[in-house]
Amino acid sequence: MRLLTHNMLSSNIKGVTNGFPLRIEVEKVVEKQVEINHDFLRNIFPKIDWKAFFDASRVMGYAELPEEAPEPLVLESDLEFLRKFHHALLELHLEEGALVCPETGRKFPVNKGIPNMLLHEDEV
Amino acid sequence: MVFISLRAGRYIHRFWGKCTLSLDSFCVFVYPVTCSSMMEIKVKDGSSLCTLVPDGEPHIMQSVSVSEDHRCSSISVKSTPEIEKKYVHRVYDAIAPHFSSTRFAKWPKVAAFLESLPTGSLILDAGCGNGKYLGLTPSCYFIGCDISAPLIKICADKGHEVLVADAVNLPYRTNFGDAAISIAMLHHLSTEDRRKKAIEELVRVVKKGGLVLITVWAVEQEDKSLLTKWTPLAEKYVEEWIGPGSPRVRGPSPFTLESIPETEENGSQAHAKDSNDSLTENMQQSMCLTPQNEDDVLVSKHRMSQQEYFVPWHLPYHRAEVSGASAGALANGLARKDDKKGAVVYDRYYHVFGEGELERLVSGMDNAVIVNKFYDKSNWCIILEKTL
Repeated sequence: MRLLTHNMLSSNIKGVTNGFPLRIEVEKVVEKQVEINHDFLRNIFPKIDWKAFFDASRVMGYAELPEEAPEPLVLESDLEFLRKFHHALLELHLEEGALVCPETGRKFPVNKGIPNMLLHEDEV
Repeated sequence: MVFISLRAGRYIHRFWGKCTLSLDSFCVFVYPVTCSSMMEIKVKDGSSLCTLVPDGEPHIMQSVSVSEDHRCSSISVKSTPEIEKKYVHRVYDAIAPHFSSTRFAKWPKVAAFLESLPTGSLILDAGCGNGKYLGLTPSCYFIGCDISAPLIKICADKGHEVLVADAVNLPYRTNFGDAAISIAMLHHLSTEDRRKKAIEELVRVVKKGGLVLITVWAVEQEDKSLLTKWTPLAEKYVEEWIGPGSPRVRGPSPFTLESIPETEENGSQAHAKDSNDSLTENMQQSMCLTPQNEDDVLVSKHRMSQQEYFVPWHLPYHRAEVSGASAGALANGLARKDDKKGAVVYDRYYHVFGEGELERLVSGMDNAVIVNKFYDKSNWCIILEKTL
């Protein structure tokens, strides 16, 4: 699971008011390089909840992101920032661990990089 | 919907899944097409509906005809009905690698839609199957989800970003995606409410102005002979099937299947199941339609209004795990063997769509408009744009 996905995921358990962000429990993080796409990064940046993204990157062991989200203009020219943004967003993988619902504490397992977000009968 | 209370009958238990209310009897909740949500009643709701049958004779406890508008409010639309668990989820889990190997041809209409999206788009594929469309446009980013873990594993092995999730209840923040696709998925949902909900979810997860492409199998199949290979499911099934020993059984025996006549393939008009067959198989067969008339015209007219089907999947023996899913499936009647074809046969549940049905489903939505709709290769397709 990449942090891009984590930034989109929300606990949809019955009764939960705000299931975002899911807390990350790390067992294994893997880094996999992927080609940078500036168009995509500029498009996705406004969608990202920066605080959740920043906190998640720290949990995953990456300390290069600024705590404050930069101005969008920065993405036009700051290649260094783009590289770090790209790295944290798409190159860090939670291979093994769990995503924890912020309200109920319910753990959604992540195995082989795949989160299982299926709810049990009583959570629907 | 009709609730049937019967004295212990293991075969029923095995076939339908269960809702056990007491030690002495249990209710069989059969799939009612007319009900707006599936019946998997929890014990606390069941007590008022199902009581012990003192004299041991089976009889209908309660017969309620439920219209599309009447909601069975105690059951969430997000709860997975038994028919989908048995005839969609478990089947795809069992056939995943074989299914994936047959799913490689990219449908031009879907490819065209994806290629029309702006570069750098985030595209969400709900019911992505083996990930055929993930990454189709390299300038975009795809996140796929499917309810089948084995299929998702196949996607992940190819390097795609995927998760296991339910399309009726997407675990995604609202407005996040740029576009969404749902290719050949909606027809596996067994109630209109669930199909509507899945569409609402697709629209919810994309941004304002975002596009959603949905494709589903059509009633109007280009290859009409295909329909003869499918098993139609009876809408009024529950009213026809009562059970063994009931005085309301209509002769001939309810445990015979008269199949819709095959086309050219063989000359036989119908074949009746051997009454010595196991009860499970008979019950399964009796779920299917007994045609009133073998006249071709009437049959095809009937077929045009028929939308609920079991569509077979032939899993070659060499593909079926001998000691895994298929062995279990065969043991509990979920699949059968076809020695002539050398395959384990699984039935997949489909609600095929009629012309205009997709439009009708979205007509009540206040946050999406139809920007395109078309029929292509036996599929009805629609493109929505999120407006609010």
